[in-house]
Amino acid sequence: MLTLANVDAVYGGVIQVLRSANLEVRDGQMVALLGANGAGKTTTLKAISGLLHADHGSVTVGRIVLDGQDITHADPSDIVKAGVVQVLEGRKVLEHLTVHQNLMVGAHLRRDRAAVKSDLERVCDYFPALPELLNRTAGYLSGGEMQMVLIGRAIMARPRLLILDEPSMGLAPILTQQLFDTIARIKKEEGLTVLMVEQNARAAIERCDYGYIMERGRIVLHGSRQSLEGNQDVQEFYLGMGAGDERVSYRDIKHYRRRKRWLG
Amino acid sequence: MIELVQILIEGALVGLVYGLVAISFVVIYRASKIINLAQGEVLVFGAFLLWTFTEGAAGMGYPLPLPVAIALTLAACVAFGWTIERSVFRPLIGQSGFTIFMAGVALLILLRGLAQLIWGAQSRSAPAILPEGALELGPFLVNTRLLIGAVFTIVLTQALHVFFTRSRLGLRLAAVAEDHTTAHSLGVSVRQAIAVAWIMGTVVATAAAVVLLSGSILSLEVAVIGFKALPVALLGGLESIRGAPLAGLIIGIFEALASAYLDPLTNGAASGLLPYVVMVAVLLIRPYGLFGWRKIERL
Repeated sequence: MLTLANVDAVYGGVIQVLRSANLEVRDGQMVALLGANGAGKTTTLKAISGLLHADHGSVTVGRIVLDGQDITHADPSDIVKAGVVQVLEGRKVLEHLTVHQNLMVGAHLRRDRAAVKSDLERVCDYFPALPELLNRTAGYLSGGEMQMVLIGRAIMARPRLLILDEPSMGLAPILTQQLFDTIARIKKEEGLTVLMVEQNARAAIERCDYGYIMERGRIVLHGSRQSLEGNQDVQEFYLGMGAGDERVSYRDIKHYRRRKRWLG
Repeated sequence: MIELVQILIEGALVGLVYGLVAISFVVIYRASKIINLAQGEVLVFGAFLLWTFTEGAAGMGYPLPLPVAIALTLAACVAFGWTIERSVFRPLIGQSGFTIFMAGVALLILLRGLAQLIWGAQSRSAPAILPEGALELGPFLVNTRLLIGAVFTIVLTQALHVFFTRSRLGLRLAAVAEDHTTAHSLGVSVRQAIAVAWIMGTVVATAAAVVLLSGSILSLEVAVIGFKALPVALLGGLESIRGAPLAGLIIGIFEALASAYLDPLTNGAASGLLPYVVMVAVLLIRPYGLFGWRKIERL
């Protein structure tokens, strides 16, 4: 469905963030993109959804292809029309609009009123807490409620590929579990393909079909869920587990990571 | 007592028309985050365009029926608003607030010069689109032109509110008003939304010109109404369509009271000064106005 081939991305004309990134998302897959802070995950997502320009960034080398169509330099609105919708990180609800208006903004490109209405009902079914919040001002919701609005708003656009940037950021573990369960349900029932960046590596790997791991702008490791779960590096660096399945302290991991970087 | 009520009525009607001009500020500010300093000049330009298609055309021997003249004015306003956005403010997207402020000052002077170049400096009589006269309501006299303007302001406010909360285009503009990056991520064309906002702002300003000037004198000095409406827009809240007419009411009534009771004591300075006193007070006490968007900070 989506292919990134040798993509380089640069901010402000000088700061190179992505170096020859290759990534493939197949129809119906849940793909996880993992890595430390500053690895280039969000940049990769923004390159796909055409949002790099807003941050004075651009793709300088390589191609991004969606279903055979080159979208490397396409306008964000055309990319949304082609069925790719990104949920930005950091709870970007439209603060001063109501929840209902937020959801309807998601459907602003659609003319089929009846279908929009039934989609709204389905979104309320996925997130049973939403119907009561519809008339509330979105900026005053709790973090978990905002995340529901954001994912609901993205679904209102009827995407084929849903891109999620750290959906669990700042949520309690129990909420994170629920959110991931709901995402899995939505993916199944809507027939969606999902590409997700997540700091919560364990939860993401458990649920993905395929995963990519980034470091300093490069994809350093990729594989199916089983192969990632079994990989010792992934266990040590991202799941925080030592060889004997006991937890390694954060300091040790940091030390490891630093050593790994120095040794190249 | 009758005199006081009469003053209140007049103040309220004039205030609602200020509100109409303030709405044109608000529509533009919401989408582009630009306070158009030249909005008064835009209003005068709209008035001159209307004059061109009515009296001007008649003077040249091509009298146009009024609906045709209004339609042509509307089309010219759309083109005018779009041109300002396209040529002055779009290239400045992403620039600092100071750059945009200076561009606003430059636009103000440029439009003044252009208007003088095209239509000359002499004042002329504005076309009388609205009926002049006064309605007698018991002991009170109500200016029909201002009454029509006030009713129009209230109807337009409601219509714009529905537009921004229900329609697809309106929701797009509302998303752009909140945050450009989020709007982008939802597939909203931010540029298009800003262009639409400028066109709307220009058309609303011209409608205000019709109400203010119908049957009276049209000259470049009328542009000062822009600076009179700016405190109204600030008091109502720069993002709030519905705040504008309400703030207009407040400022209009205070201005009328000042003009009746304070002006005789201050050589007529009080009423002219009042809107700006309000502006400074608003900026000091409540910079987001009565209904403007306060940045929601969650801890």
